[in-house]
Amino acid sequence: MANTYDALASEARKRWEGLEKGPQPWIRVGTAICGKAAGALETLEALKAELGRRDINAVISQVGCLGLCFAEPLVDITKPGHPRVFLKNVTPEVVPALVESYLAGDRPDPGLALGTLGGNIPGVPSLEDLPQWKRQVRVATRNCGTIDPGDIHHYIAHGGFAGLARALTEMQPPQVLQEVTQSGLRGRGGAAFPTGTKWSFLARSNVSPKYILVNCEEGDPGAFNDKGILESDPFTLIEGCIIAGYATGASHGYVFIRHGHEGPIHLTRQAIAQARSLGLVGQNILGSKFSFEMDVVLTGESYVSGEETALMEAMEGKRAMPRSRPPFPAAVGLWGKPSNINNVKTISYVPEIIARGAKWFAGIGTEKSKGTAIICFSGAIKYPGMYEVPFGLTIRQVVEEIGGGVPGGKQLKLLQTGGPLGGVLGAAKLDTVLDFDAMASAGAILGSGGIIVGDETVCAVDLTRNLVAFCQFESCGKCFPCRLGMTHLLEVLERIIAGEGRPADLELMKAIGQTMAVGSLCGHGQLGFNPVQSGLQAFAEDYKMHLEQKRCPTGACNRLFHKPTRTRPVASGGWYARRDYVHH
Amino acid sequence: MPDEITFTIDGVQVKAKPGQTILQAAIDAGVYIPYLCYFPGMKPYGACRACLVEVEGGRGAPASCTTPVAPNMVVKSDTPLVKALRKGVLELLMSEHPHGCLSCHRIELCGPQDICLRHVRVTDRCVVCPKNERCELKDTVRLVGISMELPTSYNYRNLPIHTQDPFYDRDYNLCIVCARCVRACDELRGDDAICMVERSGKALVGTSRGTSLLESGCEFCGACIDVCPVGALVERDYKWEKAAHSVYTTCPNCAVGCQMKLEVDRWQRVIRAVGDWNGEANHGQLCYRGKFGLDFANKAEQLHYPLVRRDGRLVEATWEEALDVIAQGLAPHKGEAYALLASPRSTNEDAYVAQKFARTVMGSNSVDTSTDSRPELVLGLADMLGVHAATGSTWQLLGARCTLVVNSNTTEDHNVMAVPIKQAHRKNGQKVIVVDPREVELTRYADLWLRPRPGTEVALIGGILRALLDESLEDKDFVYKSCEGIEELTRSLAHLDLVRVEGVTGVPQASIRQAARLFAKERPGAILYALDNVASEDRLALVHALVDLALLTGNVGKPSSGLFPLRSGTNEQGAWDVGCAPSFLPGYRPVADAAARDEVGKAWGASLPSAPGLGVRSVLAGLREGRVKAVQVIGDSPTFDAEALDALSQAQFLVVHEHFLSDLAKRANVVLPLSTFAQAQGSYTSLERRVQLVRRARSARAEEQPAWRALAQLAQRMGVKGFEYQDPGQVFGELAALMPAYRGLSHERLSKGGVQWPCPEEGHSGTPVLLAEGLGAGKAKLTPVESPKAPRESPAEYPLLLAPGRVLAQTQREMQVVSVEGLNRVQRDEVVELHPSDAAALGVAAGDMLEVAATSGARIRAVASLTGQLPGVVSITTLFGQLASQLQASSAPDRMLRVPGLEVVPVRLEKVAAS
Repeated sequence: MANTYDALASEARKRWEGLEKGPQPWIRVGTAICGKAAGALETLEALKAELGRRDINAVISQVGCLGLCFAEPLVDITKPGHPRVFLKNVTPEVVPALVESYLAGDRPDPGLALGTLGGNIPGVPSLEDLPQWKRQVRVATRNCGTIDPGDIHHYIAHGGFAGLARALTEMQPPQVLQEVTQSGLRGRGGAAFPTGTKWSFLARSNVSPKYILVNCEEGDPGAFNDKGILESDPFTLIEGCIIAGYATGASHGYVFIRHGHEGPIHLTRQAIAQARSLGLVGQNILGSKFSFEMDVVLTGESYVSGEETALMEAMEGKRAMPRSRPPFPAAVGLWGKPSNINNVKTISYVPEIIARGAKWFAGIGTEKSKGTAIICFSGAIKYPGMYEVPFGLTIRQVVEEIGGGVPGGKQLKLLQTGGPLGGVLGAAKLDTVLDFDAMASAGAILGSGGIIVGDETVCAVDLTRNLVAFCQFESCGKCFPCRLGMTHLLEVLERIIAGEGRPADLELMKAIGQTMAVGSLCGHGQLGFNPVQSGLQAFAEDYKMHLEQKRCPTGACNRLFHKPTRTRPVASGGWYARRDYVHH
Repeated sequence: MPDEITFTIDGVQVKAKPGQTILQAAIDAGVYIPYLCYFPGMKPYGACRACLVEVEGGRGAPASCTTPVAPNMVVKSDTPLVKALRKGVLELLMSEHPHGCLSCHRIELCGPQDICLRHVRVTDRCVVCPKNERCELKDTVRLVGISMELPTSYNYRNLPIHTQDPFYDRDYNLCIVCARCVRACDELRGDDAICMVERSGKALVGTSRGTSLLESGCEFCGACIDVCPVGALVERDYKWEKAAHSVYTTCPNCAVGCQMKLEVDRWQRVIRAVGDWNGEANHGQLCYRGKFGLDFANKAEQLHYPLVRRDGRLVEATWEEALDVIAQGLAPHKGEAYALLASPRSTNEDAYVAQKFARTVMGSNSVDTSTDSRPELVLGLADMLGVHAATGSTWQLLGARCTLVVNSNTTEDHNVMAVPIKQAHRKNGQKVIVVDPREVELTRYADLWLRPRPGTEVALIGGILRALLDESLEDKDFVYKSCEGIEELTRSLAHLDLVRVEGVTGVPQASIRQAARLFAKERPGAILYALDNVASEDRLALVHALVDLALLTGNVGKPSSGLFPLRSGTNEQGAWDVGCAPSFLPGYRPVADAAARDEVGKAWGASLPSAPGLGVRSVLAGLREGRVKAVQVIGDSPTFDAEALDALSQAQFLVVHEHFLSDLAKRANVVLPLSTFAQAQGSYTSLERRVQLVRRARSARAEEQPAWRALAQLAQRMGVKGFEYQDPGQVFGELAALMPAYRGLSHERLSKGGVQWPCPEEGHSGTPVLLAEGLGAGKAKLTPVESPKAPRESPAEYPLLLAPGRVLAQTQREMQVVSVEGLNRVQRDEVVELHPSDAAALGVAAGDMLEVAATSGARIRAVASLTGQLPGVVSITTLFGQLASQLQASSAPDRMLRVPGLEVVPVRLEKVAAS
């Protein structure tokens, strides 16, 4: 007997109210990977011990990530009759004082309190007033840090699966497809392709089975929003995935997660199991005729397996190397069957779009870029974190207002956006509007949303070398322009850094870059020259100084600090040192 | 869908087939677009990017190897962008490939064999590469016509060269990582012995754990060598030799009939064999025997003069002298005392003249092929279906939904036969059922491996028939229309309830049922059988049961179905076709039929003997009993073991036609020098009935004669007419006129490609599937299955049966590869699997060191593992790599002639004290 959605929702709401309005304080500790790194588990233990010692009854939940990395470990407490209070940097040492002040007593320590939600406490600002919060429009991350990612009822209590229920009961698949198309949602994986159009390719195919694949390879250094969503609210992805399956006629959904992202893997698997136990995944979802299976698939650690066709190869158990297109995945995808592949973020918008309508979503953002961008700040920034902001803000607004600018009184020199293949923006481009197309014309891409901020101590050449080293190392080795081009780019950059650059080196890099950009098989090679090209554009002076004066403006490029990267097969070390490769 | 797509490349209008890529269409149309990673016959890969083109209205520069042709597409392969990209790619490539000669300003002045002294570093020269002058990379760079300025830095990898594995060398300093070899190993061969390792600039080809090829599952087929565009993979023998000319011919090493290109150097040595991609029998594939087993054609030991025994010693003589001695020696033995054994490598012409000689000159029907020790393979088929050969075609197995392989080590004995089976299984999941007590390579692909107690195969197939009829899975329409005797068959199966079959064979009932369901439901299905290790008295019954199975499932006369008797001799099929068989005249006319004898006798102008002839088994018995007194043997044969040699040396007069002074030749009264396949001109008929030409690759001395010519001369010397042949084409003309199935064939016709008989008239295109038009006038008679006999008693001292196995890889087993005299060898303890009850009886525990002793005196040390499935049967599975090392090290002139098979033998186990 399938549950009706209303029955599920009222049960979930009852449970939620039991927590929120219950007689005991409810303490939520953010234990996503960022929290754990900051010591949230120790904080949790200390909290339990302290509460036990003082014999205070309280409910403790582990939640995901609120996105405010600078405040980790983050604890929030809801006491009966009080608003929800967020407490920042709660290390185990301050736990006794915290319990003393707010759980035993009633006055949160102003030094710890970050803000409140849903009411005021004297001496504590409202979270809504914080620039990090007030600029945000949380759609995909709406539940992050609020619900327990291990309890599906929390999600349902927040309107979860309402979109799915609406789609299944009130809409036909073409209507769902139309809704997504009209919302203007574009892919958040990097290419910004219109999602509705992509789905329609799959919907058109009448081969069965069809697959919905979700990509959480997320190998970009400085990007953590996919993992963040899965670790904080895997249900929104599951719901989105089922809706995508309904709209396109697919029967299976696979979430592809990089091996080693333990939190997301565990939580997504658990979430799928919970959804299945409530009849939300599997046969005849919510009593409808629609059936959809889901599973988590792991990959080995390879950046390129985030490329859609390489991901399929990896899922089939092969070496993760991109396939050539055509045929496109919508015709011949996983196991040769039609497949649609989206990023975690893209799919996570879908439940809200269906629940609240395309118009509402299209009302956020700019003309061509609808909705929000989930920005991951790291590097030389005062308030690093994961922020969901509407398109249309300028990068300066985002960096200075939300991120708090560069700490230590230093000057902002550059922004590295969209992962290593994205590009480098100089400070002069700070007024670029946050928008897929505006970013592209500025010479960078928004990509997965990672923004790494560099201050004046960063050498543009060194940073470029760093990015190219990453791209070179992660090239799968299949197509010649990328395999060899990346290698040569890195070798040239390393010699420039070592003060051995040659006058023709810049031209050489450009020539290699053109071969790569047009000639490569997949995006990795096609975009592989981006970091060099954008760096050359914005920081030609830095290159000139390295080449002509053989010195680095910031002093970062000291040859003593650099050990040349091993870029070619060599007879000793690594794989080639196996006994079969014996010199004779 | 239209049959043709018209589009334009560089202004030339080109027609393409639907589904073709731009590059494929361009190749077909003769428009040159450079490419390196694409290889015709393999899936497009899109890695080298040398084939980039621009498409009008499209973005960027797509790779022509992966872009399908669309109607009215306008493709440009010579725009500035394309040229710049092509140059960019090749320049990058050159930065890791020795290219001194390619970028040398004197390249146009330099001759192919020049050694230059000043312009290019020695290690960077093309002339020091084994692939020089047949290098695709060099050709591509030259054809593209770019000047190599090479702004990128050049980096020689300086990796050690692998020269320790059998048969071929791997020099990854020259590798361009196009992955053709990896894809050939995976896509074409289904082996995955090599793979890509590492990534980025470090990416290279290797084995998955850096192991030797001996461990990685290499079958040494050489497919990777044939596709390698550079000098990274090359055959070790004649590695540096250059071909002076090449010849397309048929492989003489097994019955599959692979077509290949033989390269011959200016000293007339056969230096290389390359699979012919247009060969319909092999689709470009060869195996270890064909690729690395043809060197015997070059051996200095080859006999150049006739030898005649004088005073107990073989001494050189002239042909005239030798023929006189033979004529005299044979004269007293005319009639049934004479027997002639043709070589498995005898051409159709040889075999035809041989049987004509035996019948008309010597008056004896005792003529056979020396490998034909299992005539039941075909006789059983002929009994029930009236055909004397495989009913289907090898490459149609790609379409078979289920393949049943019975007692055949296909991957080793008929290697290329297994290729379509493996391909189909891996690509489309087509089912494979293997029935064999031994673990052979195909068991690793088998969806179902039935492992009966040796000697109980008939009961097992009977059990499958019973299960099939019990569940009413037969093809009722087909059986109703085309078969009779279903009641008798059903009645005979009443004895074979599955409980009993399980008891006899040791195969679980569930597996028998599963096999019946699989084979009945997955149609079309094919049956391959070689009758390895089946006792001679059981063979006919087993073939009958298999034909019953094919008939009941309707798998006769349809594409991708049928029965494939896997005969061991290269041209056994052809030899039988042309009457080189004791009970058949040419065209399978029975010797016993007087009308047939008259018909053939009239054509030959002779009267033919009516007394039944002896097959090879009976000839050997007859020699021992003294009934057979004079024997003429053509060529060496893998079946000449000590016992056979012993029997043959009892002949009063023995004539041997041989390449080398073999053990048999040493026993002869007269030895005639025999030309090798490389010197011969003629035709072979493969096991799928494909008649194909054997072409002369190297010249022969006047004294080295093909068997047909030697026999014709002998006949003339003995005063018999009808042997005035000038060339093999004339012989073929005579035999084709006599045989309806060959009537449409001639050497001229065959020079355009092989044809599957029957080909009754000139314009006929051949017959891929026999009995396609139904089973003729009568119906096929199903043969009842005998109830199982008591298994043969093993000798008391050797109470167990050893089922030896051999596979390509055993990843689960620890092993060591050691270097012995510069060659890799596998070093490990073998594992003998025995049933716990046998172990208990012998007091053996798992892990004990045992010695397995066979009646032949052979002893194998092995560690006991109590994982055996059947009481009384033990098994040891070895690696193909071990066999390959043995073959590489072999000093026999013809190293692939006697590849050790996998024979089930009685053994006893002895415990060895731990050392």
